[in-house]
Amino acid sequence: MARFLVVVPPLTGHVNPTLAVGAALRERGHEVAWAGPPGLLPSLLAPGATFLPTNDLDIADPIEAVRERSLGLRGPAALKFLWSDVLLPLARGMVDGTDRAVEEFAPDVLLVDQQALAGAVVARRRGLPWLTSATTSAELTDPLAALPQVDSWLRGELQTLQVEAGIDPGEAARGDLRFSDHGVLAFTTEALYGTDRTRPANVHFVGPSIGARPPDDAFPWAWLSDDLPHVLVSLGTLNAEAGERFFAAALEAFADEKLQAVVVAPPELAPDPPPNVLVRAHVPQLVLLPRMDAVVSHAGHNTVCETLTNGLPLVVAPIRDDQPIIADQVVRAGAGIRVRFGRARAADLGAAVSEVLTDDRYRDAAAVIQRSFRAAGGPSTAADVLEDLACRP
Amino acid sequence: MPGPPSTEQAAAPAAAPPTSDEVLAEVRSLLVDVIGDDFLLDTEIELDTSFNEDLELESIEFVALSERLLERYGSQVDFVAWMAEMDLDEIIALTVGELVDFIVTSLS
Repeated sequence: MARFLVVVPPLTGHVNPTLAVGAALRERGHEVAWAGPPGLLPSLLAPGATFLPTNDLDIADPIEAVRERSLGLRGPAALKFLWSDVLLPLARGMVDGTDRAVEEFAPDVLLVDQQALAGAVVARRRGLPWLTSATTSAELTDPLAALPQVDSWLRGELQTLQVEAGIDPGEAARGDLRFSDHGVLAFTTEALYGTDRTRPANVHFVGPSIGARPPDDAFPWAWLSDDLPHVLVSLGTLNAEAGERFFAAALEAFADEKLQAVVVAPPELAPDPPPNVLVRAHVPQLVLLPRMDAVVSHAGHNTVCETLTNGLPLVVAPIRDDQPIIADQVVRAGAGIRVRFGRARAADLGAAVSEVLTDDRYRDAAAVIQRSFRAAGGPSTAADVLEDLACRP
Repeated sequence: MPGPPSTEQAAAPAAAPPTSDEVLAEVRSLLVDVIGDDFLLDTEIELDTSFNEDLELESIEFVALSERLLERYGSQVDFVAWMAEMDLDEIIALTVGELVDFIVTSLS
């Protein structure tokens, strides 16, 4: 039996895919622990799961606050903010605690979220085998290839982080904290990622890792009519506040249409919905999706994969970070239509929703991805890869 | 809609290189095309207008703009190579005026 340490940032979307993988490993008799900042993380883990805090102080809340401050940012400004103000400071704050967690738990293998760089620093410093957990596949596409100055800035920052932690500069230059030499777990398949797209040599497309999340959000199921198509509108947990304009366009687009829409939004940001639109601050998304016919999304990787797991077509309105790349994947795969987020017009949004609902090609393409997800194995395949690494001499 | 990408058109040697004012007018018109004039009612596009903060250009709009520039000016205006020389702060602060200067320089 082997010991696996999962190193995660205090971000729900990055922890979720590791939960089912950890559960699969524990079912096979392995020891699994999670390391990260205290606060949010213990509440996300399964009851009885081992949690090793990497920090005395709770840096989870400040990180969330920092992310909230960044909500108005887009494109290159959001990129700079993500690395300079979120991920690099988070890594520096987590390195010592992650090292203590490794000392205490003595793992055979680390599974390191791509945004929990401290785990990669510690694994490289100690020469331990580790896998990258790529919550979103966007980073695998070499998104900075067209911007070599930006690419070399980021590589320099990631090398500096290692050198500060005592890694030899030559060794630091040979490794990339975002991509383990031992392998990268991508929670997607090539059917969505694109068979012809560039990717690291040692990536494992294991498919989505969607665990059973507790359906703790009540929902008025009786509101859903059996006679009308249903559309879910979700901008993800972090973006709803930025979506006021978008929600207004959605409400206008859906009024008088022969469909029912569930819009996930703070009610004050989507006031006076027409009778066929239900606005809810929270929904039990995983159990709601099987009742839907299409999803309008910001193209966050988790929501996109949950939607395609149900074989549903999408209308994608990417906002920032990895979302434009994931939206592009959806469009290339034929499973959806892209609209603008900041300058969404009700007419454009309505036309896109109507098209994915009525043109079978979108649903068919979504079904192809759905089948590829099933075949990929998800958490079980991820556990195979991790076991294989633990058994390697 | 402009025609398909045409390098011959841009490379025509007889025409005098356009002035900054002419290029600014072209860039304005391309941006109105990409963004939509209904979203620019309160926005004057001037030389100091920034793409990121002022126009809040989304990635898909930026791609559309670079395609329109290629259609309009051909490969003589190598927008991609120009961007490749920039660091992150330069990209964040990029203005319409810088693009206009780049186009004028490329065509002269």
